[in-house]
Amino acid sequence: MMTWRWAIRDLLRHPTRSALSLLGVAVAAALLLDMVMLSGGIERSFGELLRSRGYQLRISPLGTLPFDTEATLGDVTALTVALRRDPAVREVAPVLGSTMQGAHGAIAASLVTYGVTPTSQGIYTLESGRDLTATDTVGILLSVPAATRLGAAVGDTVSLRGRLDPQMANAGAERRVLVRGIVRFLYDAREQPSVAVALAAAQRLGGPDLTDRASVLMVRIDEASDLTAVTARLRAAHADVAVNSIDDLVAQFRLRLTYFRQLSLILGSISLVVTVLLVGTLLAITVNERSGEIATLRAIGVARMNIARQVLVQGLLLSVLGGAAGMVLGLGTARWLDAILTSFPGLPAAISFFVAEPAPLAIAAATLLLTGVLAGLPSAWRAASTPIAAALRSDAP
Amino acid sequence: MTIVLDARDLERRHALEGSEVTALRGVSLQVEEGEYVAIVGPSGSGKSTLLTLLGGLDLPSSGSVAILGASLSALPDRALTRLRLERIGFVFQRFHLLPVLTARENVELPMAEMGVAPDARRARAAELLAYVGLADRSGHRPTQLSGGEMQRVAIARALANRPAILLADEPTGELDAATGREILALFRRLHADGTTLVVVTHDERVTSEASRVVRMLDGRIVD
Ligand SMILES: Nc1ncnc2c1ncn2[C@@H]1O[C@H](COP(=O)(O)OP(=O)(O)OP(=O)(O)O)[C@@H](O)[C@H]1O
Ligand SMILES: [Mg+2]
Repeated sequence: MMTWRWAIRDLLRHPTRSALSLLGVAVAAALLLDMVMLSGGIERSFGELLRSRGYQLRISPLGTLPFDTEATLGDVTALTVALRRDPAVREVAPVLGSTMQGAHGAIAASLVTYGVTPTSQGIYTLESGRDLTATDTVGILLSVPAATRLGAAVGDTVSLRGRLDPQMANAGAERRVLVRGIVRFLYDAREQPSVAVALAAAQRLGGPDLTDRASVLMVRIDEASDLTAVTARLRAAHADVAVNSIDDLVAQFRLRLTYFRQLSLILGSISLVVTVLLVGTLLAITVNERSGEIATLRAIGVARMNIARQVLVQGLLLSVLGGAAGMVLGLGTARWLDAILTSFPGLPAAISFFVAEPAPLAIAAATLLLTGVLAGLPSAWRAASTPIAAALRSDAP
Repeated sequence: MTIVLDARDLERRHALEGSEVTALRGVSLQVEEGEYVAIVGPSGSGKSTLLTLLGGLDLPSSGSVAILGASLSALPDRALTRLRLERIGFVFQRFHLLPVLTARENVELPMAEMGVAPDARRARAAELLAYVGLADRSGHRPTQLSGGEMQRVAIARALANRPAILLADEPTGELDAATGREILALFRRLHADGTTLVVVTHDERVTSEASRVVRMLDGRIVD
């Protein structure tokens, strides 16, 4: 009877001790929650980011992943035409990434420059001003950090110069361009100063080395077609480049995160072990202290099962309360850690390391509760097998 | 008359670091329905040991105890526990109330274990607390009660499931003379109402009220 009420009152008997144990369980639960969110979250948010503009395939130089190296694809025009010939291919969007020097009046800054086909691109969204048009070779789009760094706004003229080649005597080509709009680049790191110009303009600024080249081609295929089949077909037809679906890229990403995931698995398991130790210790102490009470209950006819249940419920109560507190704590720390991790240079700021997905969270919660109950088993067993007469005899008044 | 309790040739030995202590050396005792038996004897004579065996809290090294014909040592633990719940009421020297429960909840406890519905057990707990003169203390925790009040709550708890026999081990041992008298008056009333009582005591007043006095010495009953 009154099992839960009893368990709560029993916790309240030693408020400090109970509070400390609960805090311990909460910290362990928060760690578990964060590790669960971490292990699956980043992959999912990476996949979502890649899919966000509807391009299902990425074509990059053989042996590389998109934007992973400075390597570029050659004969992009011919490749684009060849790709478009496939009946399932709807759109091909080449992107050339390079570093250039930008200047606005006296202010100069190093800029990540994307050469794009404005009518079909999947790397930015317009925030203000207007987009480039297909024929616009003198327009430029700035990210907010680039605009801030250059002190430039829509309508201003800035100059762009290809990277200086230390081997060459002459400086790279220079071009004056007009700021058309402010955009948000999906794959940019936080505070990354990036700009976009027409692909042809970017190629020209890059000099002879970049003529008709691109870093990656983003390919959109017909929704109705079989992605796996199309990927295989394109791979066979273009053996000299790397054709990757988003799932392939996520899988690659997952491989790189193996250590990360193992670490979070280990930390998550440690948090469960800590929970077992905390709950187990507290229950062992409680059962010890209460041996006289337990013997009394047995004497007046309370069944062993009910004694054991009382102990298990107390363990469950600890993990429920501690888990609830840990949930709040864990979500808070996840947000904080996410802010730190996503500000690492080179990582898309749009990625989330910690993603709260219902299924894993439910599994984590269930695991925590089960752990609380299991931690109580030894004490429950000991309580249930209390020798009645001996315990009553030795119970101090 | 019905024999409520039938103990035969009880022996209880305790192994103690190689040597052996014999607490009981062949005790037989029958208690009939409605009897008030007082067990007296010097300290260490085995009174408490006998009472724990009679109540099925411990099993004898040899001999047997039967309550209303059911032999305790033949019962599995589950059934023995059930028998204590349904047939036996215990009152201890140190009250042994559950400190986190109120007086009423302490009295309800055996009924809850029996599966009595909340309303019914609340009503009976109130009735029992009134019977022992504590109607107005039902919401108090043991720490808020005096020794005599705690013992009365314990007696109410022992009566909750209408036991066939009430076993008490030095029920006045922790109480002053006046409070002890109140408890004895309560036992007298229980006896008058037909309850079967076995009370272990040092208290000479009990022996004058009991319907039978059993004297123990050195693990045996002496007459
Ligand atoms: N668990 C035990 N282990 C060892 N010896 C025990 C145990 N229980 C009882 N004894 C011994 O058995 C004997 C009888 O003890 P018991 O408690 O029954 O005496 P008692 O008559 O109730 O004494 P008192 O009046 O002081 O309560 C004592 O010598 C005691 O030391
Ligand atoms: Mg004794």
